[in-house]
Amino acid sequence: MGLLALGTALDWPEAKKRADQVRKWGIEQLLANWRRARGKERNALLWGDEVEYLVVALDAEAKKARLSLAQAEILKSLAQDEASWKEGNSPFSQDKEHDGEEPPHFHPEFGRFMLEATPGKPWGIDFKDLLKVESNMKWRREVAKAHMAPNEHPITLTTFPRLGTKDDYIQPYFAPSGPALRSQFVPDEIANPHIRFPTLAANIRSRRGRKIELNVPIYRDENTPQPFKDPTVNYDLHDWPEDDDVRNGAAKDDHVYMDAMAFGMGSCCLQITFQAKNMTEGRKLYDQLSPLGPILLALTAATPIYKGFLVDTDVRWNQIGGAVDDRTREELGELPLKNDRWRIPKSRYASNSTYISQDPRLRKEYLDPDLIVDEDIKKILIDGGMDNLLATHFAHLFIRDPLVIFSEDLEELDLNKADHFENLQSTNWQHMRFKPPPPDKDDIGWRVEFRSMEIQMTDFENAAFSIFIVLVTRAILSFDLNFYIPIQRTTENMETAHARNAVLEQKFYFRKDPFSRRRQNQHSSSGSNVSSAASSTDNTPPASPSLSPVESEYELMTISDIINGSADGSFPGLIPLVESYLNSVNVDVETRCSLASYLELIRKRANGTLWTGAKWIREFVASHPGYKQDSVVSEEICYDLVMAVDEMTQKEGRNGTVGWELLRGKRS
Amino acid sequence: MKLILSTSNIMISGETVIRHLTEKSNVELINSLRDNFLAAQQSSTTATTTTTPSSLPTWTKQDNDTLYIPTASFAHGLSEERPQYDITVKLFYLPGIPASRRCAHTREAIDLVLKELHVDSIDLLIVSFPGILFDADDDSEEETLSDTGSEEPDDFDNMIQTWRTLEELHAKGMISQLGVAEFGSERLARFLPHTSVKPSVNQINLKDCCVVPKSLILYARQEKIQLLTHNDCMDILPVGTTRELLGPGERGAGILASAPDATDGVQGHVEPQWVVKYTAVVKDRGVVENKGYFALADVGSCVQERS
Repeated sequence: MGLLALGTALDWPEAKKRADQVRKWGIEQLLANWRRARGKERNALLWGDEVEYLVVALDAEAKKARLSLAQAEILKSLAQDEASWKEGNSPFSQDKEHDGEEPPHFHPEFGRFMLEATPGKPWGIDFKDLLKVESNMKWRREVAKAHMAPNEHPITLTTFPRLGTKDDYIQPYFAPSGPALRSQFVPDEIANPHIRFPTLAANIRSRRGRKIELNVPIYRDENTPQPFKDPTVNYDLHDWPEDDDVRNGAAKDDHVYMDAMAFGMGSCCLQITFQAKNMTEGRKLYDQLSPLGPILLALTAATPIYKGFLVDTDVRWNQIGGAVDDRTREELGELPLKNDRWRIPKSRYASNSTYISQDPRLRKEYLDPDLIVDEDIKKILIDGGMDNLLATHFAHLFIRDPLVIFSEDLEELDLNKADHFENLQSTNWQHMRFKPPPPDKDDIGWRVEFRSMEIQMTDFENAAFSIFIVLVTRAILSFDLNFYIPIQRTTENMETAHARNAVLEQKFYFRKDPFSRRRQNQHSSSGSNVSSAASSTDNTPPASPSLSPVESEYELMTISDIINGSADGSFPGLIPLVESYLNSVNVDVETRCSLASYLELIRKRANGTLWTGAKWIREFVASHPGYKQDSVVSEEICYDLVMAVDEMTQKEGRNGTVGWELLRGKRS
Repeated sequence: MKLILSTSNIMISGETVIRHLTEKSNVELINSLRDNFLAAQQSSTTATTTTTPSSLPTWTKQDNDTLYIPTASFAHGLSEERPQYDITVKLFYLPGIPASRRCAHTREAIDLVLKELHVDSIDLLIVSFPGILFDADDDSEEETLSDTGSEEPDDFDNMIQTWRTLEELHAKGMISQLGVAEFGSERLARFLPHTSVKPSVNQINLKDCCVVPKSLILYARQEKIQLLTHNDCMDILPVGTTRELLGPGERGAGILASAPDATDGVQGHVEPQWVVKYTAVVKDRGVVENKGYFALADVGSCVQERS
């Protein structure tokens, strides 16, 4: 999340009145930018990873782990170091290993207990660059740690296991039930104090008409009460009108109930952004990576605990979706449509719903026939010269209201900026994001962001997954791979990925044959495999009567089949594809060997030889002497878990140290 | 007669590029040749082509004493400007073929690649001499000797002789860098003093383990030779496989005659001479745009005597 200029943020009723203006201006900015940038070519692949951390303070005496709300101080001191580096005094260079590398960037996040770190400069595809990713991630962690109190640690767990419990899980302590979040579990101070964040949370709640409502199924262990009624819910609170929510049935039996944006947006993710050669390549990567989103979500599963309880899901995704779900009862379909314009099937944070590539392989049947689109906005875009597919995509994103509006920004429309466009674009948190070049930065091209992965506990894993995705994009472009399936199947896959141990126990829709059979073309007149950069204007994909039925193109596969290839050889597997790609380029010995260790991790995660983070955390809790088989993750277990995770980030499971089950396997 | 077998661009042809773990590593070449023959056959049955005067299939093309299998159109070059690409070529000299032919073979192979990619130079040429097998475990280069003599180790003087040819092409600007494959540190140390253009690359096959002898790493670093990995096998195109590919059987292309006295195809012995693999990678994006193979086999009664 980039931070925006300060100003006067409008409360919801006011913001709502100005929503149309922001959307209209946003679309004008998009069109102006699209006209300027549609022919933009950037010859180099550049990419970046974003790693997010929880800042956890360990209290060895009380045996407690607490979230530290010291984000602002930590960032300030990091920024000072970065500034002095720019002046030529390098506070970073004690470490020879990173000579010549720019120091990492740190960014605030929604949670005041979170940090985000990105590499100082984007990565390229030079294989030597790929070798630097892991050590750079480790460096980021060291730099972050160096700016924290001695007992504070940057931890890459997706969520803090005891966020929102009754005890003092934050430091310094603040009581819950503030005016912005109105949560009975977390205080307003849990969020970044920058006006954008409390406003975002308050306006989501206000637009929605009640607090957000998360019910995650409890993991039922031997001694878990039946039915399970979340014992942390207070039914007698009367501070805010929203305190009625629980009396009206917001908290469901057999579920862990949560009521604030912090439970979702306080999760850490691993996101990768790629710069494409041009808009055409960007649109292709957006489409082709989309079906991989749920697969990588299940493969990186690391979120089995919420609010002190083991839950029956393994990933964070839907909790974030619910945590920023600003849909009204009418939009949700709970009331007949009266004031709102349409029913909306998904939260603003959800799997993506559009394909945007002008690709002859994109069949009409892959698109969502029930996609909600703002037809007026689509018409403006098409009248402005944009093709149908891309206009549909943005007109779909623009069905949402802008949530945070600064009144100062509404005085004059500046077509050389993208602030209004970004207001909508960056609050559509879909698992893929297609990013136009920023108007003020000439050196940046069209980009695609892959957003579904969960953060992993060690930098080895985070580097492995980042680099794997990069290599997959190279294989997609080199082999002209085709992963299209109807986009609703990807939505279903995203739900499937939530199941406990989905990586081994569930099957996912995936395309059976990823190859584009264009061999025939080579022998006839037109055989170039490189798509032309020219963009034609009309582009509703043709229905394809001569092709086999869409349903015969895909089937349910295990993640192991998708990643490693199916045993009968019918599906090649992403790793064999990547290896085949690597065999076609010149890779030096050292790089190939580290890449091999990354691919090995992913191969073994997929086939179950190595555990996911979620499974490891479950096993850690289950085997803890303080665990009573009642789904409760106590303060003591939480403390030991954080200690173990911190040790794991150092030793990485080598020689049978903690975490070997998910990192190395036996005896290596 | 010379037979020039080609795969055309295998990056866009689907699964032939995927090697299953159990398969031999020349499966990419063999499968993509077979695949390309098949595709050419199919498109020739639908297209109206003028029939070749001989009994040869319409999807091949005879040019004097050379038969292109399938017809190589050389119609498509690379899509971007030449400087955007890294073009790597690996030339496999095959076992049992006299080293004296290598000078001509090298030129033939390079010419075909340049023609195919519409370029006038390549960035890196790696040559693979037959019979050298790098053993990562002990760094002693094992030279595979067999009783039949068909895989006799390559003579050191022949390697030097061959290298002279490469140095000439380098001097002409056709090749920017030269490389060898499967050299251990001892062989490199013996080889380097005889070269005027040093190899800048040594390509080794790591199979599945990542064990590289320290002596080689150190020596390569000292001599500024890059150690690259590959996944090719030594005997990339055996005679038997070639016969099967081109023969009349179910899995063959029907180029060769079904019996010594039959008239349904080309008569005589077939002897593969060399194989060349080329890849064109868009430098800053790491995209492999074109990859393919040519192979040349002599066939007929006039197969040259081995010297």
